[in-house]
Amino acid sequence: MTASTLARLAVAGNRTDMLRTVLTAVSALLATIAMLCAATVLSITGWAGRYAAALLVEPGLRPGVAATLVLVSLPVLALAGQCIRLGAPARDRRLAAIRLAGATPGEAVLIATAETAVASLLGSVAGLVAYLVARAAIGDQRTLPTDVLPPAPVIVLLVVLVPVLAAAVGALLMRRVIVTPLGVVRRVRKRGPRPWPGLLIAAGLALFALPFQEHLKIHIPAPRNAALAVLGGGVLLTMAGVVLGVGWISHTAGRLLRRYGRGPATLLAGQRLITDPWNGSRTMAALLAAVTAGSVALAYRALLATNFRYYDLDNQVMGYSNGEGTGPAADPSFYFNAIRLVMVAVGLSAAVAAAGLLIALVESVVARRRAYASLTAAGVPRRTLSAAILWQTLTPLVPALVLALAAGDALVRLTQTDFDLGHSYRECVSENDPEAHCRTLAELHLPSVLHVPVPWGDLGLLGAGALLAALVAVGAGVLVLRSSTDLEELRVG
Amino acid sequence: MSALLSGTGLVRNYGATPALRGIDLEVAAGEIVAVTGPSGCGKSTLLHCLAGILRVDGGTVTYRDQDIGLWSEAARSRLRRTEFGVLFQFGQLVPELTAVENVALPLLLAGTGRREARQTALDWLGRLGVAESAEQRPGTMSGGQQQRCATARALVTEPRVLFADEPTGALDVLTGEQVLGQIVRVAREQGTAVVLVTHESSVAAYADREVALRDGVVDPTGLGLAR
Repeated sequence: MTASTLARLAVAGNRTDMLRTVLTAVSALLATIAMLCAATVLSITGWAGRYAAALLVEPGLRPGVAATLVLVSLPVLALAGQCIRLGAPARDRRLAAIRLAGATPGEAVLIATAETAVASLLGSVAGLVAYLVARAAIGDQRTLPTDVLPPAPVIVLLVVLVPVLAAAVGALLMRRVIVTPLGVVRRVRKRGPRPWPGLLIAAGLALFALPFQEHLKIHIPAPRNAALAVLGGGVLLTMAGVVLGVGWISHTAGRLLRRYGRGPATLLAGQRLITDPWNGSRTMAALLAAVTAGSVALAYRALLATNFRYYDLDNQVMGYSNGEGTGPAADPSFYFNAIRLVMVAVGLSAAVAAAGLLIALVESVVARRRAYASLTAAGVPRRTLSAAILWQTLTPLVPALVLALAAGDALVRLTQTDFDLGHSYRECVSENDPEAHCRTLAELHLPSVLHVPVPWGDLGLLGAGALLAALVAVGAGVLVLRSSTDLEELRVG
Repeated sequence: MSALLSGTGLVRNYGATPALRGIDLEVAAGEIVAVTGPSGCGKSTLLHCLAGILRVDGGTVTYRDQDIGLWSEAARSRLRRTEFGVLFQFGQLVPELTAVENVALPLLLAGTGRREARQTALDWLGRLGVAESAEQRPGTMSGGQQQRCATARALVTEPRVLFADEPTGALDVLTGEQVLGQIVRVAREQGTAVVLVTHESSVAAYADREVALRDGVVDPTGLGLAR
């Protein structure tokens, strides 16, 4: 098969295929811009007092800014992954017809993957152009680092990386798909998922906690990046455990729904969850990753707040005021603003993730439109089908959100849960003979230990926000149900 | 006549349900064989096994003295785009491609240049009387036009064997006869062997020989649709 034939077959499609191509390209565009921005921030060297934003000035804070930007790009890439499944039934029919004409199984997968790669490449090139144009248009070097450009090899690498990643995800999604000349078969796992991802969460928590366990005499060697890698690895393992754990949660929720649910909606939802328990892992991955990251940020904010309170009390006892004294309590707003920035990124990620969930829902409804149309023809009200979709989405999502919130909070609580104030304060007046000339300034009668609180309210708001985003996605997805349950669907060959 | 294609002791099951239970069949070069029988007797399964679309659970499918059951999926796919042509009742055309692109597809997959493949496809559409539909997509064509287009695609590589599964099943009687007449005429011109699956005696009458199936085996009475 020549390259031109591959390109022609890859771009052949109907309106849904066009929509999938456009969404894939847009996802790649956004991800490329986010990653180019992260690379730009990392390209700033040394103390950069020329910028207005303190987050860009201090070398120690810039990796955090870059990590936040990468965090934004992850759900966008996940969205690209969801787009690959959009319009899958029509594409499956097309691939089967091409197989019947003599294409080998490998060529069929190549055609499907080429479409994603071409769309992503167009998107990432457009992203590079948009990035360069925006740099030139903004021009203000005080606000944004428009005076710094990542090295050319890094730019090329990022532009190529996005389509390669998207194509790899596409090929990965096709691994359980067998395209035959008679149609497309999806291999179904015979055994239900097991709770093994719980081990991943435990491993992630253990890895994250390692640098803080002084009694274990474990020292993360310099450079500091090694410690960051260990912490990042812990967070990623925990996120992976949460996302993969949705398979077991879905399967268990499906069994419970089928056993204890009353009415046809719960029966339908329960059976769907049992039949395809991994659907939740695929569709909710980005949302759960964003919620886990948000939970980490909120728990860290609670930890910081407690830390500042500790320094405040300490400084009060020592007689300092007006920002004097020990610790960073003098300007806590800087740190809280940084966390606010992370939460903005989490919010953006959650919004993109909800868009991905919507695409997955629409794809799921369209893929089963004949089954839905048959049920409608048999007298099942559309309201019941809508309720089934709602149950099917929310039943695994709610426990998964709780798990994500708990895992994120647990990560931070492993570092420190309380600050000890239970000691007296003394002032020494002679450096030569401190014991003789020291006097006790104060005995602290406050509670001797400051506990880091669990930010229940903030975590609740984060969980509720994620749930609301999912509900909006389900609501929008259910709108497709009316057209998909049209009895005309039963007549389409 | 020596056999070009043969199936020996063919067994195929769908789970616990047997579809073929030890069928022997031989097809000579240029011969038109009708496989007949009632619904569910295994006609289509036999055709799919002979064409290498399905693997058999038992027995051998031999094409030009080679057991194609031992071939990889990719090798059998290449066989279908060079030596075999496949024609179904409906659904074999790619709905997003034009008629000429559909007909050119097997040639393009085999690496033929785009211009040459297009010209060959146009010639075949002309031979089957649907040249005027060359730039139309299947969705805008009539059933008869679609089936002629599919026939052109099945024959464009000048295959040695054409497998046709109820090729006129979705057409009205008159159009069906026209399409079938063209399939047979072109196959005879080309010297292409045809395995024709049908449950209609009028269609089976176009064949040189009829093999009747019943419950996954060759009907021992041999009466087939004439019964």
